[in-house]
Amino acid sequence: MNEKEMLYQKRLERYMTAMDCGKPDMVPVAFGVGEWITKYTGTTLQEIYYDLDKSNNVVSEMLPGLDFDIFKGGPALWWPPMFDAMGSKLYKFPGMGVDENSTFQFNEQEYMKADDYDEFIASPTEWLVNHYLPNISTELENPGSYRSTVALIKGAAAFAMQGGIMAAAWGKWTMENGIVGQGTGFTKAPFDTLGDALRGMKGVLLDLRRRPEKVLAACDAITPHNVNCGLAGAGADTRFPCFAPLHRGAYPFLNPKQWDTFYWPSLKATIEGMWAKGKRMLFYAEGDWTPYLEKIAELPDKSIIFQIDTTDAKKAKKILGGRFCLQGGVPTTLLTYGTPEKVKEHIKRTFDELACDGGFILDTGGVVMGDAKKENAIAMIEAARKYGIY
Amino acid sequence: MSEKEKALNPDPGVCVPWEVKKAEIGEFPGNEAITKKEWEKLDDFAYNFIWFWAQR
Repeated sequence: MNEKEMLYQKRLERYMTAMDCGKPDMVPVAFGVGEWITKYTGTTLQEIYYDLDKSNNVVSEMLPGLDFDIFKGGPALWWPPMFDAMGSKLYKFPGMGVDENSTFQFNEQEYMKADDYDEFIASPTEWLVNHYLPNISTELENPGSYRSTVALIKGAAAFAMQGGIMAAAWGKWTMENGIVGQGTGFTKAPFDTLGDALRGMKGVLLDLRRRPEKVLAACDAITPHNVNCGLAGAGADTRFPCFAPLHRGAYPFLNPKQWDTFYWPSLKATIEGMWAKGKRMLFYAEGDWTPYLEKIAELPDKSIIFQIDTTDAKKAKKILGGRFCLQGGVPTTLLTYGTPEKVKEHIKRTFDELACDGGFILDTGGVVMGDAKKENAIAMIEAARKYGIY
Repeated sequence: MSEKEKALNPDPGVCVPWEVKKAEIGEFPGNEAITKKEWEKLDDFAYNFIWFWAQR
């Protein structure tokens, strides 16, 4: 076993121990290379998003010498050429809809109409193919046409190409730096699948009043698919958690009664469905989830890693600590508006409050924005190693 | 609606179930398991591609 392999094993053990609520040799640190990197590399955001090789090279140059455990990935969340091939309406990307140095924007619309509920509920996958894909893709407006067929070929090819390129890049980063990938699989709360991309915020909120039974039936229909998406297929890895960005469940998008009725039951069923197969969820609780901590505590022990964004961290520790690993502790705003000294002070305090008895992973609370400062990101890692030894 | 376009209501991870394809093929002279395994791998890939667009 070479030096990097030994480093990998050490970091893996640290990560696994914390996920199981144990106390490793030191607090594991999660780190990602965000859009902020472009300010220091002379590249535009458009280059970073469109050119996977360039984006991966930027990451490869950044990683050596950084001492952290869990790698969250590079700066580009999406690969726009795949979306362009399909004529996707879902996003505006740097250089294609927004300025070459602006981050992407989600173009939320009612891509699924209220009248579509019954057909969607009867057979979700077929409805997505027959209606949703043509609705969100200008190139698929005339199914069966030359343009439509070519777009589907290009879109699927791009999906496979991106998967292959990124798998190779992750393999290289792991081998050369001894870092551990954060997770495998991707899923969402069924209500978010419905409310984000299908009905949109306005549509789903109106549905809560006008057709609540359809919302519930749709969430039930989505649940087994979201279990499957989180598992990333039968027989796939179960050591690492699946990533689940959670949106409309943050307080106060829904009132507590709506949350109890519409949001929580299908999310809970998704988590329990995955956990029955041994798969944990990185419960990426974007925003404030403080009012719902008691409900979340009903989940099976260790079935989630709870991400603390603007949730009250002390309450999260009190209610969830010991039964679920907690992750976070560093406000994203601190990396933008703080200084290295303030970051270090904050991390020392965070460890005292949240990490004392294990079951904790240091991370930024949410997605780090493009205006974050590199020196603050580096200070976070350095302070974690200085103060994080148990 | 043609026979091939009948609603399938496929399970999670499936677009066109192997059983449907097998019934269309009729007699199967070779090793079904080999063909089924590769059919299902590609079917799962297609499923993930389709749901990728809904999980934004």
